[in-house]
Amino acid sequence: MSVLELNGVSKVYGDGPAEVRALHEVSLTVDEGELVAVMGPSGSGKSTLLTIAGTLEAPSAGEVVIAGAAVTGMSRNDRARLRRRSIGYVFQNFNLLAGLTAAENVALPLELDGVPAKVAREAGVQALEELGLRERSGSFPDELSGGERQRVAIARAVVGDRRLLLADEPSGALDSANGEAVMRLIRTACRRGVAGVVVTHDAQLASWADRVVFLRDGRVVDQTAPAAGPESLIAPGR
Amino acid sequence: MTVLTSDRPAEVKGRAGGGAPARRAVVRWGWRLFRREWRRHLLIISMLALAVAATIVGLGTATNAAKLSADPEFGTAATILSLRGSGPQLSDDLEAIRARVGAIDVVAHQEVAVPGSVSTIDLRDQRPGGTFNGVTLRLDSGRYPTGPGEVALSEGASKLLNIKVGGMWTANGQAWHVVGTVENPLNLQERFALVAPGHVVPAATVSVFTDWHPVPGDGLQLPSRAALHIISRGHPSTAAVDALVLALGTLGLLFVGLMAVAGFTVMAQRRHRALGMLAAVGATDRHVRLVLLADGAVVGGVGALAGAVVGLAAWFAFVPALSSLAGHRIDRSALPWWAVGAMLLLATLTAVGAAWWPARAIARTSVVAALSGRPSPPQPAHRFAAAGTLLLAGGLVLLFLSRPGSEHPRAPMIVTGTLAIPVGLLFLAPLSIRLLAAAGRHTGVAVRLALRDLVRYQARSGAALGSVTLAVGIAAAIAVSAAASDAPQPVGNLPTDQLMVHLSPNREAEQAPPLSGDQLQAVTTGLQQIASDIGARSVVPLEQAYSPQAGLQPAHAGPRGRTVPAGYATTSLSRITVSGPGIDISTMNPLYVATPSLLAHYGIPASAVDPTADVLSARTDLQGLKIFTPELRGGQASSEPGTASNAPRAPKISSVEPRIQTLSQLPLYTSAPSILLTTGAVQRLGLGTVPAAWLIQAAGPLTDTQIQTATTAASALGLYVENRDEQASLAPLRNWSTAVGVLVALGVLGMTVGLIRSETAGDLRTLAAAGASSTIRRTIAGATSAALALLGAILGTAGAYAALLVWHRSDLSPLHRVPVVNLAVILAGLPLLAWTGGWLLAGREPPALGRPPLE
Repeated sequence: MSVLELNGVSKVYGDGPAEVRALHEVSLTVDEGELVAVMGPSGSGKSTLLTIAGTLEAPSAGEVVIAGAAVTGMSRNDRARLRRRSIGYVFQNFNLLAGLTAAENVALPLELDGVPAKVAREAGVQALEELGLRERSGSFPDELSGGERQRVAIARAVVGDRRLLLADEPSGALDSANGEAVMRLIRTACRRGVAGVVVTHDAQLASWADRVVFLRDGRVVDQTAPAAGPESLIAPGR
Repeated sequence: MTVLTSDRPAEVKGRAGGGAPARRAVVRWGWRLFRREWRRHLLIISMLALAVAATIVGLGTATNAAKLSADPEFGTAATILSLRGSGPQLSDDLEAIRARVGAIDVVAHQEVAVPGSVSTIDLRDQRPGGTFNGVTLRLDSGRYPTGPGEVALSEGASKLLNIKVGGMWTANGQAWHVVGTVENPLNLQERFALVAPGHVVPAATVSVFTDWHPVPGDGLQLPSRAALHIISRGHPSTAAVDALVLALGTLGLLFVGLMAVAGFTVMAQRRHRALGMLAAVGATDRHVRLVLLADGAVVGGVGALAGAVVGLAAWFAFVPALSSLAGHRIDRSALPWWAVGAMLLLATLTAVGAAWWPARAIARTSVVAALSGRPSPPQPAHRFAAAGTLLLAGGLVLLFLSRPGSEHPRAPMIVTGTLAIPVGLLFLAPLSIRLLAAAGRHTGVAVRLALRDLVRYQARSGAALGSVTLAVGIAAAIAVSAAASDAPQPVGNLPTDQLMVHLSPNREAEQAPPLSGDQLQAVTTGLQQIASDIGARSVVPLEQAYSPQAGLQPAHAGPRGRTVPAGYATTSLSRITVSGPGIDISTMNPLYVATPSLLAHYGIPASAVDPTADVLSARTDLQGLKIFTPELRGGQASSEPGTASNAPRAPKISSVEPRIQTLSQLPLYTSAPSILLTTGAVQRLGLGTVPAAWLIQAAGPLTDTQIQTATTAASALGLYVENRDEQASLAPLRNWSTAVGVLVALGVLGMTVGLIRSETAGDLRTLAAAGASSTIRRTIAGATSAALALLGAILGTAGAYAALLVWHRSDLSPLHRVPVVNLAVILAGLPLLAWTGGWLLAGREPPALGRPPLE
């Protein structure tokens, strides 16, 4: 069952001579448990694709369907509700809220959805525990290392009943070891049924995906299933 | 890295809109941010506190200064009845009054001459704690007089007599033991001596204080049939004071709001990315707004409290100075507490309201734009300008229709109009900023960059400009109003470094007693000694002219119970009006002869005097006045025989239309020799001259001791000293308001320019990386500050003048008195100070050339 469907999505910025066509009739489907990597040169529309898929931006044309719900025509509040219930977003520079502890950052989408603070906090701590950060749950973001911050961001993206995980260069600000670890976590989340889309320009990290989509000048120019990558080295059951 | 993975966790169900948990979560985050970044909030809190404090002081000042017009001699009485203080039927008269009007306070008066001075002291037997006049008497030290021979002096009387508590004072032949100092709290300048009830004997007049309101035709006949003088106070209109307080409070809130909008716009911009993150994880627009609104509530509450503390402290410190300025005692607790309380509450709400606007703007920004930290493009300036023009015009029309100056002004229109004008100016701010930026396109890179940044960050620069405009506008309005309300010649009777020594006890004497040669020699020697004793620089003899045909006038009773000695009736420059069979003589300005020594004193060479001129003066309001010379025995120039209304006898007069030469070197003081009769005119009119007074020029302002020394010595010579009177000038208010306005504007500039420049820290890094020196950075800060100051000064002054032109529409003449110095300080001094401040405080090398730290 597909969690994300982009049908003929286009995105145009500006008008007249300043018009920039970031996406041109892009169609993409991501199924439950599938991890898709999006690659392409700078300016190819990777990040725009992700922000439209994450309902952070509306397409100029085309249709976006997430977990069976058409995004087009949704109000801002409905889109916000969809984000906090179904979509997890991981940014290159973590985007954690400085005033909240790691556990509170993770619990934030739940609390915004009306879950009582205590219940949300417990869920947040559990999510951090699964990522090996239980002991850092009370730390503020500026007390965490880069890798730890990104793991907190991933925990925030998967906490609750998330169906779609979107990651924009999640390892861009990390060293290679932490980058690999982050991809492993995303891969693990997908194994539990979450659909994932990862924007990266690193072929090594893209090899973690089930499928790689190549963008150029806002168009999908190729889609391929990569050869077995490092994941194949992980023993089944891990 | 060790990672545990498990099956997908159980779903955690939430609520559709997030409900209370979501609100708690975002408020908690806002509170945490406030705690973490309280230093960043200091500027906004300081701005709010400054605005609240300024408003509290303003409210107190307006409320208490407005009491100036409340007829201080009345106390709480509605009417004062004055009657002669002696006569066998005085008791019956007072009983009759009491029977007719009910409760009364009775005070007997006697005017007491002060030896050696033209001043007099009112000796009164007012009973402390009187029903109606109790509020006009307060004991400052010692005790109230209770028995015969005891007196308490006001500060003015004590200074004039140079007698302190414990001393003895001889007045009208009776010795008084000074047992205390007293004051009229409603009029600190009042000079009087208080004795125990029933001890003013004989009384010259009796004042009866009552709450009786006489109506036309409501006659009050006394048994003695004596003349009764009835003075009723005007109906004090509290509506005007309330409207003033309301208008000031409204302006204060507007000021608070503008400052808060400027501050919260910056804070919202700083949190742009963080708020974008919040939206990215599913926060609704309402949640995003709530973060900033919670911030506004906390900052507003803290700012209001801090402002209250600072404002009350400033008020307590300012009260003595304000009492001195206002001329009446002001109780430190005499604040409009309801207005202060409402102000604090409304300031907090205003801060929340001010946070709402940027919160709404941020919430409407796309999440991607917020995450990228890009500022929203500025709104088109022409829309604001159109709204501003409408508001400004509407405000002026409302003021026009509010019937200003009438007995029943329309307070709602005054308040609405007063509010609409600065809001209109605020809306004109973006356009004025753009115009200035366009005008500065050919300037150097630093100034150009500073002006363009003001346009780029229009939201906060506009709010800052609005705050500066408001502060400057209020200061300009007060300065212009004070100048308009001041007397045309607000310089008083004499400068502080001069004494006039008169031969007659009345400063407005129209008779100069003749002196023999020996007497003149003795007086001259004595005056030289006085000048030496007080370290004076010169003594200039003053002569007046008289008609030799008139001869000596006899002594007669003068004003204030003093006797005018026999002497020559002196020439004056007067208004002579023929009214039926009689002639009315008024506006009698004494004419002093323009002797060579007097001209030399003012640095006027004899050659500068037009030989055909009759009168010399710097005054320009002498048109229509004539040289008036009383003549008892007829005279050469007699042209309009008749009766002078205020001459001792019924003299014939002569009057001549003078040829007046304007000489700006001459003074404008009312008692100084400011209008001179030329020696040519003396000859042409066939007049004689006689010594009348002497002008003693000191090296500096005279002290009380010096004045007392001169007065004592003059008394021994049979002369009378006149020194500078206490002046009820509004000049201090003008200067204070200008200073406070400029200081507040500079404070606003310092805070907001700091905020604006902090937003462009990236540009500074780029400039530094490109090799820009500290001079460039200093120039940018200076130009930013000075541009806002200049625009604020121009808009504020223009707005103040526009409002005052409408206010004074029925008579624009008071506005001809322009407070040039005050306006120069505002229009030129403020931008200059702002530039200097910006220059001095900027220029530090940016700490790093990398990216700014993330939220």
